Amino acid sequence: MTDTAPPISDLDLFDDTVLVDPHPSYAALRDLGGVVHLPANDVHVLTRYDVIRNALGDWESFSSAGAIGFNPMVNAALTGTSLASDPPVHTQLRAALTANLSPRALRGLKDSIDAKADALVEELVNKGSFEAIDGLARALPLAVVADLIGFTGHVRANMLRWGQAAMQVIGPMNQRTAESFPIAGELYDWCSTVAAEDLAPGSVGRGIFEAEARGDIPPNTAGHIIHQYLGAGVDTTIASIGNILALFAAHPEQLALVRENPSLVPAAFNEVLRYWAPVHAWGRRATRDVEVDGVLVPQGAQVAILFGAGNRDPRHYEDPDAFLVGRNPVDHLSFGYGPHGCAGQGLARLEAHAVIEALARRVGRLVVGPEVRVPSNITRSIEELPVLKMAPA
Amino acid sequence: MRIVLDRPRCEGHGLCEEAAPDLMHLDEDGELVLDREEISDADAALANAAVRVCPVAALRLA
Repeated sequence: MTDTAPPISDLDLFDDTVLVDPHPSYAALRDLGGVVHLPANDVHVLTRYDVIRNALGDWESFSSAGAIGFNPMVNAALTGTSLASDPPVHTQLRAALTANLSPRALRGLKDSIDAKADALVEELVNKGSFEAIDGLARALPLAVVADLIGFTGHVRANMLRWGQAAMQVIGPMNQRTAESFPIAGELYDWCSTVAAEDLAPGSVGRGIFEAEARGDIPPNTAGHIIHQYLGAGVDTTIASIGNILALFAAHPEQLALVRENPSLVPAAFNEVLRYWAPVHAWGRRATRDVEVDGVLVPQGAQVAILFGAGNRDPRHYEDPDAFLVGRNPVDHLSFGYGPHGCAGQGLARLEAHAVIEALARRVGRLVVGPEVRVPSNITRSIEELPVLKMAPA
Repeated sequence: MRIVLDRPRCEGHGLCEEAAPDLMHLDEDGELVLDREEISDADAALANAAVRVCPVAALRLA
């Protein structure tokens, strides 16, 4: 075992300028080492592709228990969820979470999601100019997740702010986190009291309560599962769909490739996820002294996984700063990997593939104005994207 | 060389089938079926690719 300490950087991982444009900082950290100690945040960041993928697969060395968030309050609040637990407890919680969310459970939804995306894109092409984050990036996931879980009434209206706050509070205890805790608390309170009859008949949400009543999942877990659907599945998907539009507008030749060859749709989504990771940083804790890339990560260290840094590692991807749908980076890190790999990735693919297919089929020219970004602790997304011209194919 | 499936961990994402359709497929219920568990040298690259793309690390080579 080495006793070499990791290199140190004075970077603040959650500084406004870093959050809005993290890639220059990611490159600098990656050049320093696969692991870098950031005293400003009291974390060890993982920066290189192989280091991240190995850590994600090694839950025995890099625990999620009480460690995925960057403040003690959020880690306490997430206790008992699959996100924040390790096997063997994790295995049962994950099974309950994915029973209704795995690709095999979602197969029946493809046609309705395709139809929703196509109708939205058709309406926007007819408009010609619009604000794309509200008009598409938020509209589709909100509609899909609301119908999936069976949300009605005031809950539907709160999904966006609840979903944003649930991600924001995973950051360190800065002003953004402090302001978001009361809103995340509204979501938590609602999920603690929601009952089967609050959710639309026939919805997946109602099905989770029926599974609880049958004893297929442990008592009192249905509310937690709904919390995770909303907390993890809304803000990140919104980010991805906004990124699809912005990246295709910036790289029209890449949209043309997909238009000419629709079998590139999954590859295009993989490249969007690789190029702009929706999640900035995610936590783990070292359960023991771990040697990584020739340096020591000490037992008990808070670790931050920088998915976006790994996704641009030139040790793994050739010409990593180029956006090229043809590279099909199926092993990108944006969904994580291993036991905690994104549980909702099947649903995310259904939504994103539907959007890319509709854009490739219906859109010829796409011209956007400057995107607006607002610093956010965990989710990196576009706040506003003015589409100046969306012309039919 | 054998390909080994951790059945409880498999969620049916199907990326392995895309990587190695001759070695495995999802059945009508979305459950993974290993069509060939014993992997010849000729198929080793495909098997490795399938193992590598599983997003939840449910496949391994033994």
